[in-house]
Amino acid sequence: MSHSGRPEILQGTLDLLVLQTLLFGPIHGHGIVKAIQRSSEELLKVEHGSLYPALHRLEKKGWLASRWEKTEKGRPMKFYRLTAAGRKQLVVEQSKWEQFQRAMGLVLRQQKQE
Amino acid sequence: MLSKLGWFLRRRARDAELDQEMHAHIETEIEERIEAGAAPEQARNDALRAFGNQTLAIEEIRSMWRFTTLEAFARDIQYRFRLLRSSPLFAVFTITSLALGIGATSAIFSLFDAIVLRELPVREPDRLVFLSQQMPGIGPNSYLSYPHFARVRDTATTIDGILAMTPRRLSVESKGQTELVRGLYVSGDYYTTLGLRPAIGRLLVKEDDSASGEAAVISYAYWQRRFGLNPSILGERISISGVPFTIAGVEPPGFFGIEVGAAYDVAIPMRALDRIAQGQPLWDQPGVTWIRTLARLKSGVPAAKARQELDVIYRQVNNEAIQMAEPGEREQAERFARDATLELEPGATGVLSGFRETYRRGLRLLLMMLAAVLLIASLNVATLLLARSEARRHEIATRLSLGAGRGRLIQQLLTESILLAGLGGALGLALAWWGSKVLLRIALPNAVTLPIDITPDARVIAFTLAVSALTCLAFGLLPALRATSGRLAAGAREVGRRRPVERALVTSQVAVTLVLLVAAGLFLKSLYTLWTQDTGYERGNVLMFSLDASLAGRNNAESAATYRKLLDELLVAPGVTSASASVVRPVDDDAYFVAAFTKPEEPDNRIRVASNNLAPGYFATLGIPILAGRDFDWQDGAAGLKSVIVSETLARRHFPDQNPVGQTIMMDGIREIVGVARDTRYGNVKDAPRDVVYRPLFEREYGGQITYEVRYHTDPATLERNVRELVSQLDARLSVFRVKTLEVQTAESLSRERLLALLTAYFGGFALLLASIGLYGLMSYAVTQRTPEIGLRMALGAQPSAVQRMVLSESFRIVLCGVAMGLAASFSAVHLVRTHLYGIEPYDPASILGATLLLIAVAFCASVLPAARAARIDPMRALRCE
Repeated sequence: MSHSGRPEILQGTLDLLVLQTLLFGPIHGHGIVKAIQRSSEELLKVEHGSLYPALHRLEKKGWLASRWEKTEKGRPMKFYRLTAAGRKQLVVEQSKWEQFQRAMGLVLRQQKQE
Repeated sequence: MLSKLGWFLRRRARDAELDQEMHAHIETEIEERIEAGAAPEQARNDALRAFGNQTLAIEEIRSMWRFTTLEAFARDIQYRFRLLRSSPLFAVFTITSLALGIGATSAIFSLFDAIVLRELPVREPDRLVFLSQQMPGIGPNSYLSYPHFARVRDTATTIDGILAMTPRRLSVESKGQTELVRGLYVSGDYYTTLGLRPAIGRLLVKEDDSASGEAAVISYAYWQRRFGLNPSILGERISISGVPFTIAGVEPPGFFGIEVGAAYDVAIPMRALDRIAQGQPLWDQPGVTWIRTLARLKSGVPAAKARQELDVIYRQVNNEAIQMAEPGEREQAERFARDATLELEPGATGVLSGFRETYRRGLRLLLMMLAAVLLIASLNVATLLLARSEARRHEIATRLSLGAGRGRLIQQLLTESILLAGLGGALGLALAWWGSKVLLRIALPNAVTLPIDITPDARVIAFTLAVSALTCLAFGLLPALRATSGRLAAGAREVGRRRPVERALVTSQVAVTLVLLVAAGLFLKSLYTLWTQDTGYERGNVLMFSLDASLAGRNNAESAATYRKLLDELLVAPGVTSASASVVRPVDDDAYFVAAFTKPEEPDNRIRVASNNLAPGYFATLGIPILAGRDFDWQDGAAGLKSVIVSETLARRHFPDQNPVGQTIMMDGIREIVGVARDTRYGNVKDAPRDVVYRPLFEREYGGQITYEVRYHTDPATLERNVRELVSQLDARLSVFRVKTLEVQTAESLSRERLLALLTAYFGGFALLLASIGLYGLMSYAVTQRTPEIGLRMALGAQPSAVQRMVLSESFRIVLCGVAMGLAASFSAVHLVRTHLYGIEPYDPASILGATLLLIAVAFCASVLPAARAARIDPMRALRCE
């Protein structure tokens, strides 16, 4: 599932990406993929198929809610949006990520020093 | 979990939705690529490749669904079990309340269903109707004459078949043993009209109903009881009153005849009456009604249309009967032909059943009371659940603030209710089955086998489960909603303090309990009044038993001699104080004979009376005083003037201001009144005394059913043994039946009242138990809630006794409020039971006062423990605990 040069996306981080992407409004699955690719300047390429298990899992946990709506082109698609709990979870995930970053940074800096 | 349950059910829709979502995604990707300039073929391939493994994704999502649904459900149940185990008292109280409430309801309901509602287990019972004659001024008569039945059977076109039956006792000898069984004479089409199939062998058909037909059919219950389900009885030769028969088959199990409460053992063709019973054949008498019928409408024919045709046939027979009538009866026949009509009544539940009518109203009343009991049980469960969720509000508030979804929390709390409902319902169902058996035994204490089928059928089970589920969901939902509402998280203490909902619930429980207790008190008092009232005879130490020599094939002369001899031997038997005989038993279901007499000076004034035939010594044996004149003696049968004895009421009514002794009346000949006997209640203890004329039993040769009354001073068991020996020595073929003491017989005539009283007492007691549990629970939790407050008070100098008083007074406020409501409800509802009461007014002060005091006393006991606990609170610990 990895493309050369592009980082693999771990499950935990995919959750964060999805939650973050939905911060600004409801989007359908295809749109989420495109948004992640765009905002990461094409660095992160999500395999489309692996998005959906994540979306459904997040919905199951109560962090997302879904609804079938029509796009501008008139095609019915399933739109996802953040719930209140999801918003809270986003904060949690962000702080987890920051902690992870910090931890990684400490370890790597140490390595560099050595 | 509810939404999860919903997911599970909509699984196929869910899968389709998933497919649609994926499909839309891919199509959108393809569209974009095409707009960006790719060729359609290429676009599709690239899009699919970008998507990755679609199947894998779908599988992953599906397995996630499956797993989490079951897993969550299992986790919920486990959690709930642990919680319940940690507070066993709560669990026990709740489950017991539910089980008892549901069990009682289902027991009564299944009884009601079996007796009143259940249709016959035959083919298409909704097409069955029974025929009944209507004469204006007289009530309907569901007995018909044979010519009427035969004519309908032979000429009607709107029906598929019609059956006739008449029950009689039969003396059956099989495998060397003779016993008296309940028999049924049936027309040839009995089983074909009903559409039954035999358990083994074959059932009777039209050809069996002939002058020489020897086939007999036995019921499944009899086969079980007497022959142990042994298939070798097919072809067994038996003898009924000396006439040979062969057992041709057995009825299917679960069939108890077409009259509820009147199950029989042996069915034989009607034409056998000529050979077995002695007396005039009634095949051609249109004026004598003795059979009951059930007809099956042709499919598609409405009952009204059939009624028209059958009424025409019926009137035709009546018109022909005018020609055949004797001169003295012609006028009556003409009146009959003019006014009588035939009606068809729905026969899906069988023919008119006295048993059913006796219990129908009582059962309906009971169902109403049951609704009350169930209400209390539900209120109780609700209170307990509410109070419990109060106690766990910390836990719930914490979970809410940590982000738990409200829906999910409600689901979890509901799981608990569902668990309780499941356990309570299962236990309740078991109780119901056992309970209805017990109830039936109370109603029919001497029945050898229960004559109705009370295995709970689908209807009862569905009812039970529905009630159980409804109760728990409804009363689990309220606490769940309340506990998870935002209000609780903030200012929780305020909401906990006054607890208005719980107080209202307990108050309602108290009110309903009072109504039930008042009803119980009324029924018990009514029963007591009935039981202790002066019946006119002394019921202690009298044994009764019956014989019927005609069933054994004896003629009148032989029978009469045997009867007389038996009485003589009884009079000198050991342990016997006195003995007598009569044709109709005292206090029996069989009514006395209807007769009429005229005074010689008013030959046209026929005075209707009840009549019985007695041997000398009857009044002395039963302890009925002779008010004037004398009892019969052995001379009264001999040649010369025939004599009668009249009852007190008759003397007062028809011979006012004179001594009736010495007067003559005309009643099949000239008779002289030789004595006046005190009134007794007969037939039914509730009946008012009537005009009765007694005739000497031995004045003619009588060979039919006879009952002996024996007053003893030993024990009845020994006496019964002696009696049986005496009888078998006199005539080996005679069977002794219906051996009962007069006391038991009197009690049995009150079986319906006993049932009602017993049940309302049970319900009242149960309601009392529940209400006190509710009160105890409420007070307990209240004390727990207010522990800090109480601690504060005590720290500030309040005495323990003052604290106790505070708790008690709060509980009393609730109870008194409930009592007031209950009294109001009682006054308005009590007139409903007026018809079931005897000898007391519905507003009987003793019952009402007694019920109220009992309730208050029990409530006091229930509050004492929490009050004592409150007084024992250590202020230091209480204050620290917050």
